[in-house]
Amino acid sequence: MSEVTTVVAGWGLSFIVVVTYALWIVGRGKTVGRELGIGGQEELDPGSDSSTPADV
Amino acid sequence: MTQALGNRHMTATPTTRVLGAVALVAVLLMALLGLVVSPADAVQGQAVRMLYLHVPSIWIAYGAFVLTSLSSALFLVRSRRRHDGGRHYDRLAGSAAEVGVIFTGITLATGMLWGRVTWGTYWQWDARLTTTVLLFVTYLGYLALRRLPADPMTRGRRAAVMALISFVNVPIVHYSVDWWRTLHQKASLSVGRRPEITGEMYWTLLYSTLAVTIVAIWLIVHRYRVIRLEEMRDEEALEALIASRLKEDDVQA
Amino acid sequence: MLREALLVARKDLRVEWRSKVTLGHVAPLALLILVVFAFAFDANARLLELGAGGLYWVAVLFGGTLLIQRAFDVETEDGNFDAFRMSAIGAPSLFLGKSLGIFLQVVVLELVLVPGIALLYNVRIENWVLLLSAAVGGTLAFSVCGVLWGAMAAGLRVRATLLPLLLVPVLAPILLAGSRAFETALGVRAEAGWTWTSLMFVIAAVHTAIGLGTFGFLLEEG
Repeated sequence: MSEVTTVVAGWGLSFIVVVTYALWIVGRGKTVGRELGIGGQEELDPGSDSSTPADV
Repeated sequence: MTQALGNRHMTATPTTRVLGAVALVAVLLMALLGLVVSPADAVQGQAVRMLYLHVPSIWIAYGAFVLTSLSSALFLVRSRRRHDGGRHYDRLAGSAAEVGVIFTGITLATGMLWGRVTWGTYWQWDARLTTTVLLFVTYLGYLALRRLPADPMTRGRRAAVMALISFVNVPIVHYSVDWWRTLHQKASLSVGRRPEITGEMYWTLLYSTLAVTIVAIWLIVHRYRVIRLEEMRDEEALEALIASRLKEDDVQA
Repeated sequence: MLREALLVARKDLRVEWRSKVTLGHVAPLALLILVVFAFAFDANARLLELGAGGLYWVAVLFGGTLLIQRAFDVETEDGNFDAFRMSAIGAPSLFLGKSLGIFLQVVVLELVLVPGIALLYNVRIENWVLLLSAAVGGTLAFSVCGVLWGAMAAGLRVRATLLPLLLVPVLAPILLAGSRAFETALGVRAEAGWTWTSLMFVIAAVHTAIGLGTFGFLLEEG
C-alpha cells in the first residue's frame, strides 16, 4: 500500500465512522422524540381514550 | 414529563447547533492543515499525516473514559442519597464511554494503517498496542453491560461499579504488559514513540486535538440527550401499561 | 465477618460436594483442553514444553470461569440473593465467602492440571516453592476477580456470554503473570518468576479491597 493510499484510507475510515455515528445519534433522537411526541399526547389524557368503554 | 422537554422532540438546541457548526468548520480546517498544508515527514513521508488523527483520538478516548469514571463515582454517591438520584450521571457515563470506544477504535485502525506503512506490519505485541486493545474490549464489555434489560438504577449501579473497577484495572494491565514487553525480546523498532515533531507538524497536531475534542463534546452531548429521550419513552411506556392494566381491573371489578 | 464468610463458603462447598461438578465435569474438561492444545500444536513437543506455563493457566481460567458462572447460577435460580439481602450476612462476608469457595474449587482443578502438564507436556518442576506460590497467588487473584465480576453479570439472562466478555480482559494480567512465573518454575526460561508472583498477589489484594467496598452496591436491587 502506498503512503498516500494509506493516509486516504485512514482519514476516510475515520470520517466515515464519526459521521455515521453522528447521523445515527441524530436519527435516533428524532425517532424516539417522535414516539414521545405522539405517545405523550395520549397518555396525558387517558380518560379520552376511545378504545375503552364510555363509563368506567 | 414530556412537557419538561417542551417541543424538543429532537436532540438539538441553539447551543449545540452552534457547537456543531464550529465542529464542522474546525474539522475542515484540520483536514486542510493535516492533509495539505503541513509538510511530509523526512523519515515517514506522507504517513505522518495519519498521526494527526491517531494521537488526538486516543487522547480524547482517555478523556472520555475519565469522564465515565468520574460520572460513575458521582452516580453511586447520589444514588445512595436519593432513591432515584443521580440518573444524569449515569447517562453521562454511558455517552462518554460510547464515544470513548469509538475513538479508541479509530486509534487502533489508524495506528494499524500507519504501522503497515512505517513498520511493514499491521500489528506488534508491544505494551501500548496490547493495552489499547484490552482497553477497547473492556469498554466494549461495559457498553454490553449497559444494554441489558434491567431496572435503570440497578443497571446503572452495576455499570458504575464496572467503570470504576476498570479504571483501576487499566494501570494494572498497562504495568504488567509493559513489564512483559521489556522483559521479552527487545523491540526491533521504536514502537509507539511519538516522532520528534516541530514547527508546523506540532501545531497541526495541537490544533487537531482541539478539533477532535469539539467533535467529541458534540457527540457526547447528543448521545446523552438520546439516552434521556429513550429513558423517558421507556418510563412512559411502563406508565401506560400500568394505567391500562388498572383500567382493566376497574372494568372487571 | 470472617465467621459469616466461612458459613457462605461452607454452603457453597456443600453444594459442590453434592453435585460434584468440579471434580466430575470441570476437571476432566480442563484436562481435555490440555489434550486439545496438543492437537492444535500438532503434538510439537518443543512448542508444548515452551508453552506449558501459558497453556496451564488458560485451562485454569477457562475452567474457573465455568465455576464462577455456576457459583452465581446456583444463587440466582433459587432467589438466594433476596434471602441474603434479608439475612444478617453482610455483602463483604458474602464476597469473601464466595471467593473462598471458588478458591478451593479451583485448587482442586489445579491439583489435576499440574500433573496434567507434567505428564502430557513433559515438563519437570524445577522450583516447587515458586510453582506453588505462583499457583496460590494466581488462584487467589482469579477467585476475587471472578466473584466480583460474576456478581456484575449475575441474575441477568445473558450472563453466560456476558461474564466471559467482562472477565477475560481483567484476567489478562493474571494469565500473563501466571504463565511467566510458571515458565520460570518449570525451568523453561529464566525470568523474574517471583516478581510475577508478587504481581498476582498485588492484583488479588487490590481486587479484594475493591470487592469489599463495592459488593454491597452490586447486590442492591431497584
